[in-house]
Amino acid sequence: MNQLGIPLLSLLIATPLLGALLVLLTPRQATGMQRGIAGLVSIINLVLAVVVRASLAPTAGYQMVEQQTWLPTMGLHYAVGVDGISVWLVVLASLMTPLAIFAARQKNDGNQRAFYALLLVLASSLIGAFVATDLLLFYVFFELTLIPTALLIALYGVGERRAAATKFFVYPFVGSVFLLVSIAGLVYVNWQQTGVMTFDSVALSAAIANGTLKIDENLERLLFAGFFIAFAIKTPIWPFHTWMPQAQAATPDDGSVDIAGILVKIGAYGFIRFAIPFFPHASAWAAPAVAILAVISIIYSGIIAFGQRDMKVLLSYATISHLGFVMLGVFSQTAEGMSGAILTMINSGITTGALFLIVGILARQPGGRIADNFSGAWLSAPRFGSLALVAVFASIGVPGLNGFIGEFLSLQGAWVSTHIGFTFIVFAVLGIIVSAAYLLRMYRTVFMGEVSVTSAVPEASNSELLVLGLLVVAMLVIGLYPQLILGSMQPSIAALVQSLTQGATQP
Amino acid sequence: MTQISWLIALIPAFPLAGFLLNVFLVRGERANGTVASLSIVAAFITTVIAVINLAGMAAESRYIAITLWDWLAVGRVTVSFGLWFDPLTAVMALLITGVGALIHIYSITYMHGDSRPGRYFAYMNLFVFAMLILVMSDNLFLLFLGWEGVGLCSFLLIGHWFDRKHVAPGIVPSEAAAKAFVANRVGDAGLLLAMMAIVSHFGTLSFFGSDGLSGFVSKLTDASFTTISLGAFGSVGLVSGIAFLMILGVVGKSAQLPLFVWLPDAMAGPTPVSALIHAATMVTAGVYLIVRTHAVFDLAPDASGWVVIIGATTALIGATAAVTQFDIKRVLAYSTISQLGFMIAAAGMGAYTAAIFHLLTHGLFKALLFLGSGAIIHGMHDIQDMRRMGGLRKHMPVIFLVYIVGALALSGIFPLAGFWSKDEIITHAWYNAQNINVTVILLLSSLLTAFYMGRQVALTFAGEVRDKDAHPHEDLGSMKWPLYILAVASVLGGLINLPGVHWLNDWLNPVLHQEAELFTLSMGIFAAVTVLLATGAGYLGYRLYSGDIGARIKPGDEDPAHYYLGDIWKGFEMGWGLDYVYQRIFVKPYRTLSTFLHEIFDQQAIDGILVEGSAGMVGRFSQAVARIQNGNVRTYALVFLIGVVVLVGYVVIGA
Repeated sequence: MNQLGIPLLSLLIATPLLGALLVLLTPRQATGMQRGIAGLVSIINLVLAVVVRASLAPTAGYQMVEQQTWLPTMGLHYAVGVDGISVWLVVLASLMTPLAIFAARQKNDGNQRAFYALLLVLASSLIGAFVATDLLLFYVFFELTLIPTALLIALYGVGERRAAATKFFVYPFVGSVFLLVSIAGLVYVNWQQTGVMTFDSVALSAAIANGTLKIDENLERLLFAGFFIAFAIKTPIWPFHTWMPQAQAATPDDGSVDIAGILVKIGAYGFIRFAIPFFPHASAWAAPAVAILAVISIIYSGIIAFGQRDMKVLLSYATISHLGFVMLGVFSQTAEGMSGAILTMINSGITTGALFLIVGILARQPGGRIADNFSGAWLSAPRFGSLALVAVFASIGVPGLNGFIGEFLSLQGAWVSTHIGFTFIVFAVLGIIVSAAYLLRMYRTVFMGEVSVTSAVPEASNSELLVLGLLVVAMLVIGLYPQLILGSMQPSIAALVQSLTQGATQP
Repeated sequence: MTQISWLIALIPAFPLAGFLLNVFLVRGERANGTVASLSIVAAFITTVIAVINLAGMAAESRYIAITLWDWLAVGRVTVSFGLWFDPLTAVMALLITGVGALIHIYSITYMHGDSRPGRYFAYMNLFVFAMLILVMSDNLFLLFLGWEGVGLCSFLLIGHWFDRKHVAPGIVPSEAAAKAFVANRVGDAGLLLAMMAIVSHFGTLSFFGSDGLSGFVSKLTDASFTTISLGAFGSVGLVSGIAFLMILGVVGKSAQLPLFVWLPDAMAGPTPVSALIHAATMVTAGVYLIVRTHAVFDLAPDASGWVVIIGATTALIGATAAVTQFDIKRVLAYSTISQLGFMIAAAGMGAYTAAIFHLLTHGLFKALLFLGSGAIIHGMHDIQDMRRMGGLRKHMPVIFLVYIVGALALSGIFPLAGFWSKDEIITHAWYNAQNINVTVILLLSSLLTAFYMGRQVALTFAGEVRDKDAHPHEDLGSMKWPLYILAVASVLGGLINLPGVHWLNDWLNPVLHQEAELFTLSMGIFAAVTVLLATGAGYLGYRLYSGDIGARIKPGDEDPAHYYLGDIWKGFEMGWGLDYVYQRIFVKPYRTLSTFLHEIFDQQAIDGILVEGSAGMVGRFSQAVARIQNGNVRTYALVFLIGVVVLVGYVVIGA
């Protein structure tokens, strides 16, 4: 709670839900009104998120904590809070919703009510997952993100949308069952040893760091495995990734659901926040193996992306490739790597969001999402082409733009990490070559080359150029002054690394 | 912050301002060109003032440092956005802004009538900015920004005519642009690894630190015995490892073996771009990197040995390839690869001053040659094939004159600039490094250089125009003055480091700590012999191609020399076939691999067998367990049940 006593974080969760209700109350045919309400609510939420960020003190530990007892005997609480790590993800989640609504193409088939409502529910559940400090509450939000996204694909998608939606839902859902089991196991072990029944993640990780809670080595690995399966599927990391390209091939062409869903891949956050602090020994033990999977993710997905003609599938594999860098950073368990991982997640939101928006704008043409159907778009749409170019180079990781800083820090962290080391990095660095190959291939196919009459892409609208321009400015600002984000994150990261070393040295 | 610090910050600020103005405000071809040129001229003047100030400082503390802002401070990675101006940076900045200004002015006429002059001039400004950042940065991280920034600008400018299907000689601009960027990225990956190794072991990426002593360069000696274990592959010295990784970056950016394949195709860009980026400045960044971090290479003799081998081999490959080309710009492109080989070889032998000396003179006369060839192409209405030229001496007298100067300078003819700098390298190979192989290879390359320039001059200027439909004319406009100035500079450039005078040597001494060599009589004789040989080779090239062989050349036909050398000639022409090999072993298999991984491995093996397969198995199993439930819920319940049983069982039994 802040000085004024306004429960800002709960407000952040509740506002989109209220907005969703409002949207559902509108007349079916009033598409403009639905869109207006959704847009307004999402912007209010973004403002709230920025206020949260602005009023956050640069210290470690959760702030603006709100706690309501739920089931005291079971140790269940409604407990939320933010720190330097999660606050940026909250801001990002709040940014993605207006962007998604902006990208959504207006259809007047009187069938859009649920669409906007679901986008808002998704925003609410994402923010909830980022601010929840109670494990069970986190679990609820974590699961909840799946439902609106799956429905969005099933109701508004293209192609084999039902099959894709089912897989999108079932696969991560099955994975998170293991998470639930492990949470139960952890709470049980804690109750057995300390006599306290609690789902409070802060208390649990503190108990592990200071040695009051000691988990037997094999059990720790088993519990960690449950967290790992859930988060690895959700991140996703090779070979648990196959749901994602399939889902993204089925999302609406305009890219709205992809943008809104960028953060559905919150697995990496789960690792940083829960899996690693709870099981420091096991995660150190597993780090080399995870690093191998991460390196495979980077290169394997990059190679596959090169051959994709469907730009959305290409971007989907590109995301998996980027998430490989994130995983390296996370499991390095160093300040550099974890900062780099969070920054890469944020970058992925901004840059990949911009790229999905670009593909969405292109997909309005008869060429659809297939890169080969376009040629020379830079000539017929010079501004659009130039903004797309910056986004492409940001994603490739050219220094001066945001992507590079995140990738460098992730790799550097993994290099100096005692768990991973430079051997992995020698292979991971190939990722910067493959990413240049697949993205430049896409760019040059679509935007360069001769213009033919059938493929001429008209210039994007002013509002689209403005939004893309703002995203490009964000890429530049983060690239040239990353301390803006990294600086405020450092106390929390330092405390986390500190507790990890402490936890790992506990016998 | 002193005034002089702000002065050096202004140097890159001018081109950046020019870029921003051209992108956002200035419209119209004339205005674009003027703004861009003025910004570089202003940067040049500022550089001159800064150099004068620098010269006034005591030799041992001759540097200016300024930290603009703290870029990164995470864990052990602390990097500032800091500039550094010392004698080495000074000469690089003078070359970049000086030649850059001339090429910008030249471009005003050359790019007249282009469909996108605003973009062209904006990119050129951005390039100069990035290149200045590269040479002015006080740490490797910021250098890397410039390093990749120039690569980005190179991509943009090679692809300037992105909407053309292909440009002479049959290059697709967008493909050449992407190829250049990706080839550069292979090298950049090495440099990136070097940076990470340096952070891990020295905790800083700053070259010298703000006091000139606290950077990683000063910590290298302590680490000279540190080794890194490579597991089954033995171990490598830390400093050697860093040096080898840097070499990878160098061969990418400076178009050396085995990554030079992108440079000939980079000629798809407008000719002034080739002059500035692919001859005078960007491609020399690798040489600059070695010289800037020479402390690393001094401590890594094994790596330096490889630098020499790479440089010398590339010099020879480039020279042999240049002999066989018919495209006027491709001759110069391979020539650039070859000359860069000279510089790299010199840097590898520890002759850092000689490397920089050749970098500077080459920047002058190669810019002159490229601008000259641009003027020829302009006057021939976009004909680049030398088989269609000939007899241009009559039609383009001014260009002929300046081109001859450039050709003589490149051929290393006394007393032009190229003679002094190339001689210094070959002399060093013979007298100091005492490496007969390298000396012979470099000497041979140098003779071939004279030969192909003789050939080019003959094919272009001697005899009569072979293409009867061409209407050659000379219309220089604003291109005239840059050509004159560069011609004069190509004649006099050697003066900066004459034997016995060695101004450049003394100027760079505070950075490189290399005293000038004593000039002996035998060195004089050695130089005289090489000059005689080069003159002979040049004359031979001219004589053959203006006489016998020249008479048999027809547009579209093979070079008559092809009949004498056969496939060897063909191999030279293909740049020793490296491009062909890469197509076969990398590019095509990569596509196949991509399809295989996606369609077979990803969709069938992982998704089909692992994911769907296990889902199916669970489904069948759960059917047997609980027939009443169906759908996803039952799977969920089953997995949950199994998990709980396992866990509870473990806890109970374990406890």
